[in-house]
Amino acid sequence: MTRRTLIIATVAVLAIVAVAAVSLYFFGPQHRQLQTAAQPQITGKAQVGQPAPSFVVATTAGLFDLSKTTKPVFLEVFATWCPHCQHEAPIIDRVYRKYRGSVDFAAVSGSDTAMDGTSASSELDVLNWARRFNVQYPVAYDPLLNVANLYLQGGFPTIAIIGRDKKIAYLNSGEIPYGDLTTAIEKMLR
Amino acid sequence: MAISVLIVRVFLGGLLLVAGAMKIGHPAELAASIAGFRLLPAAVVGPLALALPYVEVLLGAYLVVGLFTRTVAAVAAFQFLCYGGAVASAVLRHIPANCGCFGPNDTAVADWPHVAFDLALAAASGFIVWWAPGAFAVDRRMQSA
Repeated sequence: MTRRTLIIATVAVLAIVAVAAVSLYFFGPQHRQLQTAAQPQITGKAQVGQPAPSFVVATTAGLFDLSKTTKPVFLEVFATWCPHCQHEAPIIDRVYRKYRGSVDFAAVSGSDTAMDGTSASSELDVLNWARRFNVQYPVAYDPLLNVANLYLQGGFPTIAIIGRDKKIAYLNSGEIPYGDLTTAIEKMLR
Repeated sequence: MAISVLIVRVFLGGLLLVAGAMKIGHPAELAASIAGFRLLPAAVVGPLALALPYVEVLLGAYLVVGLFTRTVAAVAAFQFLCYGGAVASAVLRHIPANCGCFGPNDTAVADWPHVAFDLALAAASGFIVWWAPGAFAVDRRMQSA
């Protein structure tokens, strides 16, 4: 095989990969899941140091009304299809087991797409997600994405820690290590 | 020197082969990881997540066998510099982005050691560009044929 043939073959393979990637993204069987995953997420108005926007959600542990809580609050905005949220779930569970007595927890769904990445989100989808990933902390389905529109910071999961003074002490998104979360909580509890 | 280049080539190529292979079949996870860096529009992120694993495998295979070594090593160097730049920007913006470097089970969060590793890989690729193709390279056989 000549060098010229190899170059042509390589360019052809790269062109096929590029065309296949674009085609699969727009028309492939998993195109909706991919398009959802590739989207930059909403950025809400919540900011560290600012008063936490009020919200009420029905969690698996009962009604959660931010304005009526007396403890600090650990809030997660997640999507059931989001792999980072799935990775983060056991970490938040560990945090929940450690601080459930001194901090109120609420995880609220923030996407209109379900776990399979194609169908619409629903309460059942959120409950199935919690069961599948053995989530122990309270979760809530938010059909209007009100909490996401207030708190989401460009990506799932977004985690907010709110002090007793109802000000946001910590706000970040992505896979946040256990140590970072406990440090933020300890700092706020001091 | 030819043996040193071979060692670096096989190491870098092997790394790219493994990294690419571990991403194949998980485009949504990779898309979410890339989107997490908040640098590229969704219309680029999706196709990139689909194509990148195969490109990495191709680059890795070419480096291991030493085909188009100088060009491939230059592309790999550029790729590692892009990775390093993306990770550095995430660290500077305090975004705990997941690199997804080795597929969906790689949950490492972007940090400065990641940036240093990417720069080291870019430097190793530059070493290959300078001294290419090294021992046991297909390029060498093609030159002598």
